[in-house]
Amino acid sequence: MRLKSGRRKETNEEMKKEVNEEREREMNKNLISRETIASFRIIPKISFIILLLLFWLFSLPACVSHLKDAKFFYSQGQRFSSLYQTEKAVASYKRALIEAELEAEKHPSAQAFMLKGMAELNLELWKEAEGSFLNAFSYGFEKGEEWAREISLLGLASSLDELKLEDPALKIYASVLDKSKLRQVAVFAAQKYTDAMLKRALQKEGKEKQKLLATALKTAEKLTTKDLSCGFYHYLQSQVLSHLEDYKKSFEEAVMARELGLPKQEIFRDNDLQIVFCYQSLKEKLQEEEWEEFRSRYMAWVKRWNWRDAETPSWKSEVRNASDN
Amino acid sequence: MKKMTLEKIVKKGISFLSKIFPVKSYLYFPLLSTAIFWGIRRATEWKKKILSWQVYLDPELIEEKPAEFVLNFFKKSSSLSQVYEAEIMSNDKEALREAFNRLYPIIGLEDPFLSALFYEELESKDFRNIVKEFDEEVSRAKRDIEALEGKSRLLEGLKSVAEEAASLSVDLMSNEEVQEVVANEIKKWTKEGN
Repeated sequence: MRLKSGRRKETNEEMKKEVNEEREREMNKNLISRETIASFRIIPKISFIILLLLFWLFSLPACVSHLKDAKFFYSQGQRFSSLYQTEKAVASYKRALIEAELEAEKHPSAQAFMLKGMAELNLELWKEAEGSFLNAFSYGFEKGEEWAREISLLGLASSLDELKLEDPALKIYASVLDKSKLRQVAVFAAQKYTDAMLKRALQKEGKEKQKLLATALKTAEKLTTKDLSCGFYHYLQSQVLSHLEDYKKSFEEAVMARELGLPKQEIFRDNDLQIVFCYQSLKEKLQEEEWEEFRSRYMAWVKRWNWRDAETPSWKSEVRNASDN
Repeated sequence: MKKMTLEKIVKKGISFLSKIFPVKSYLYFPLLSTAIFWGIRRATEWKKKILSWQVYLDPELIEEKPAEFVLNFFKKSSSLSQVYEAEIMSNDKEALREAFNRLYPIIGLEDPFLSALFYEELESKDFRNIVKEFDEEVSRAKRDIEALEGKSRLLEGLKSVAEEAASLSVDLMSNEEVQEVVANEIKKWTKEGN
């Protein structure tokens, strides 16, 4: 019995020990889970920090994003302008100007001022544009930014031209046209140069006028020979030939320009009206036989372009045109 | 100079992290050094890309037209030839060219913006009024056009710290150098009893 009771005592003590151990285990278990819970509470904080830092990391280019946005909105303005969507183009150029101003203020650079000047030029803010392009030159262009230097030079010339400083502007156009290897730069310089030369020619009479027109034609021909596939150069040639009253050649060059493509809807329409003008002028000038020959050739083009008739391009407003004629 | 500015940014970062994450300071170093190092690299790459994105000036149409083209424009339109009969008869080239410069984009080229702007005058064939009001009306309309709305400004405030880090010209700094600055700043911050 003693033994039994003694054993019982031992068993009781063992049981107590077991219970204590169980309690301890339970307590430890609770402790772990508390720690785990505490660590889990931290996880959202870590995730938040990581997310924030990721956001920070990805938003770091914000320092250069004003320049990026300025370029984006400027390009958008050009696209709208080429499609004859003036309101959208003006709005885009305004936004490009805002972004370029912010960039020039926070991180002034040659390109920031160049963009500012380009937007101002498109918004016809000539004086401001002149100042911006001069600022661009004061910051200087780095190696690889030759295109930007040439554009800034042309922009400056263009604003000077609008501010009636026509002689220095013409010199810059001629110089850039002569030296630039970039088609986009040359195209802009060629248009400005041709317009300036034609303006001078219109102010003169006789031989002086003919001489200026011959120089303008020579330049346009040189450009066309250099880059035969550029529709815009054929357009320029057609325009100069029209001043020289050579309507047959002017018509041929305008056809080439139309076929090769033109950069803007506005220029495309102007070229079409040049074609119509050549047709109308030749109708009055050519002898009957020659006229018939030209007319049959002309009508083949008209058919190809789906014009409504010999004098009405397809884009012409039907109602207004009918009432007008 | 470069390091000083970067130090300031690191300080800002530490202070920011200490508020949200006060106990686990051992995380500041990896988080800050990685973010700043890659941030600088990323911004430099972006800057290169943006600077090499070329934009050009578009050519316009040739504005200077021959006198015959101008005269033809008025003669071939019955409504224009009626209104400008006197100028055509007297061969007033100057007056015709001035009117042509305003009317050609609207009647000749059918510019949608200008046609809408002078819709009433076109309907009533009041061409002289178009010529008279052209400059003022066009510049007023262009002035009134608002700039396009850009992206949301909601997160602009949050970007300011990031902008500061990225605007540093520290693209030549190595990862070790960035880490050194971050580590030193964290040490200083810890010594100050944080």
